[in-house]
Amino acid sequence: MTTGFSRLAAAAARAPVVLVASRRGNVELWANLVILTWAGVFLLWQGPGFALTVGTVFAIWAILAVSLNLVVGFTGLLSIAHIGFFGIGAYAMAILTSGTSYEELRTDAIPTFGWPFFAALPVSAVAAGLVAIAVGVVLNRFRDDIFVLVTFGFAIISYSVFLNWAELTRGAFGIHDIARPAVGDLVLDSDAEFLAFAVLCLALVSLVSWLVVSSSFGRVLLAIREDEQAAEVFGYRVARYKLVVWVISAMMAGLAGGLFSSWARFVDPYSFALLESILLVSIVIIGGLATIWGSLLGVMTFVLLEEGMRFVPFLPNESIGQARQAVLGVLLVLLMLFRPQGLVGRYRL
Amino acid sequence: MPLPDQFTSRGDRQRTMGIMLAALLAAYVFWKVLQSPDQALQFTYNGLSVGAVYALLAMGFTVVYSTVWFFDLSYGVAAAMGAYGVFYLRSQEAVGGQYEVNNPVVNVVLGAVVAGVVAWSLHAWLYGRLRGRFGRPTLLLAGGVLAAGAGLYTVLVLAFPGEIHVLLSPVVCAVTALLAAWALRRLQRALRPRARLAPFVAAAAPVCGVAGLLCALLLAGAEGSRLYLSWVVSCLMAGAVGLALYRGLYIYMRERAHSHLVMLVASLGVLLAATAAITLVFESAPRPLPEAFGSEPWSIGGANIKGFNVFAVGVAAAGFVFLRLLLGATAFGKAARAVSDDEEVAKVVGINTTVVIAAIFFIGAVFAALAGLLSGHDTAVQPRMGLLLLVKGWIASVVGGMGSLYGAVVGGFALGLVEQFGIWDLAGEWRDLVSFVVLIVFLSFWPTGLVPRR
Repeated sequence: MTTGFSRLAAAAARAPVVLVASRRGNVELWANLVILTWAGVFLLWQGPGFALTVGTVFAIWAILAVSLNLVVGFTGLLSIAHIGFFGIGAYAMAILTSGTSYEELRTDAIPTFGWPFFAALPVSAVAAGLVAIAVGVVLNRFRDDIFVLVTFGFAIISYSVFLNWAELTRGAFGIHDIARPAVGDLVLDSDAEFLAFAVLCLALVSLVSWLVVSSSFGRVLLAIREDEQAAEVFGYRVARYKLVVWVISAMMAGLAGGLFSSWARFVDPYSFALLESILLVSIVIIGGLATIWGSLLGVMTFVLLEEGMRFVPFLPNESIGQARQAVLGVLLVLLMLFRPQGLVGRYRL
Repeated sequence: MPLPDQFTSRGDRQRTMGIMLAALLAAYVFWKVLQSPDQALQFTYNGLSVGAVYALLAMGFTVVYSTVWFFDLSYGVAAAMGAYGVFYLRSQEAVGGQYEVNNPVVNVVLGAVVAGVVAWSLHAWLYGRLRGRFGRPTLLLAGGVLAAGAGLYTVLVLAFPGEIHVLLSPVVCAVTALLAAWALRRLQRALRPRARLAPFVAAAAPVCGVAGLLCALLLAGAEGSRLYLSWVVSCLMAGAVGLALYRGLYIYMRERAHSHLVMLVASLGVLLAATAAITLVFESAPRPLPEAFGSEPWSIGGANIKGFNVFAVGVAAAGFVFLRLLLGATAFGKAARAVSDDEEVAKVVGINTTVVIAAIFFIGAVFAALAGLLSGHDTAVQPRMGLLLLVKGWIASVVGGMGSLYGAVVGGFALGLVEQFGIWDLAGEWRDLVSFVVLIVFLSFWPTGLVPRR
């Protein structure tokens, strides 16, 4: 009896140690468990309406994060410029498809084209890709810290173009009345249909980036990330590889932009500010570098944080965005301190 | 088959291209100046006043960068703190007290930071010297009491910013007395190197005390000094936060991180969190600071410049002289340069690298805060300003030449001028675009910057 009790006591005393130790060993498992449970609890608790409201945001941000992970995680280029390509896609969609019902509100009319959604979506991606070629050629000259600074620059330049080129973007007024996806008479107008379409796009983008990184091309990217000079010595044209993956990633971001503006039916420059880009990069890093699942997990955290914060006492609803940003910042610092590869990442910065 | 780059004269070609571009730019500016000299002078004045802010930012940035060799993006926090500190302390005067803010949480957090910084500084500075004379418990108790006192005092000052001139007068008294004593002692040593200390103390103490008291009384009666005291307090707060960030966070991170991108991302996290915190406390809309000097512009040579902008240029010049003397002519500067060259070796020769780097972080944050409050008075304060100023300071230090102090000043003023002349034919909103185009052109053709570090 006494021995049994003492053994039990010893086990109980050891239990926290064991738990802590195993948690240290299995951060990935715990991160997955916690975030997925969190998502599941919210789904059950809030009902399917919850998925409809946050699902599309999740899908669009996830496309962005997966595409950015190609550049940051798999190729090792820490880019803050991604929001620019997202914005180019969004504005391409907005300008090409916006209708005329807001014409009377317009102080400065911009040309309307009235294209259908599915004609404009490829254009969104291609426009972002074309700009990415020009930007990528410039960026290929720089490395490390300076690369980061110049990508900061492109984020600021794109924002300032969206804001100030009023003949094309209507500046701070934004563009209204953007088309929803439609095939013939079937318009994907309800939230559920749009969610399904966005998730389909996310699946496609994830598939493409999985194909990219598991191909021989992807292995060259990993080599570039680990040691650029070595890859060059082995005869790979590093600059060309970096440019190609940069353009692929930008095209995916442009696609996400097209989806975003069609979903919101309204774009203004403030969705593409520098801070958003920093948030995006931190999501990718928090989720995990060089894994597609990590990006999805990061965006899930990002979306769930906002929903979870609605239940924090003494936090007014209008400060939720700021509070989430603060939490993300602290999380980023802690991860850099203890786990520089992110929650489920495969690559340490 | 083309030869690899190192066998061709790619560097020379780049240099030639750069010089050609510079010549084109100079020709453009010259043409513009010929067209309307008055306007050119106006743009020069504007450029100089913006450039002063950029130069201050770039100096602080460069000093920190050339000591720890990573880009500290949380530097933007210090800039925003400098501006928002002034707004916080003077919010009942700005726009008739419409946006008055006084948050007990902020006061207590800042008080705790100050207490921590004071405790650590006392420990680093005095503990080793006094350990032989007093016991460990005595010293710890005394240090703890002093630190807690400093923290409480900070909370008091932050809680009653309207009475800042009365609350701070004891400190000003003490500082004046100490400065007077130091100056007298230096004078005495210069005149009579072998003089004893005791009679000097007996003679000098009343003088210093009276000087201190006079200053304190003058200050307590002068309500107009509240704004200037707020500047000082705000800069010191930003400095304390900068130091605390290094000592409390970066020092551990630098031990573990095996790439400076980790540091960059971590400081980005700090920037994100701090920007959010500032927005939570102050809301995101821009706020004006109270008028510093008279707002009517002076007319010099046919163009207008505000008195405040002249003051800003003066602050930048004074900051440069201060840093140059500090880094070039003191033992601390020598230690800082040693740390910058090789931290490990500096440690081996007996330099307390932690103290040196912490002090550098303090100085860097104070410079950022100065720049922030100058720019805040010039336009307005808003939470995004930390990020924007950080980016401008970063560009200016790269354009000037990374890690070089002269380069930081030259780069800052050059960036300010180029921005202003660049938007001559465009609208003012394109300023950020111009500065980044300058950066990219510079990095492509002049990667070492205007005044490269030797």
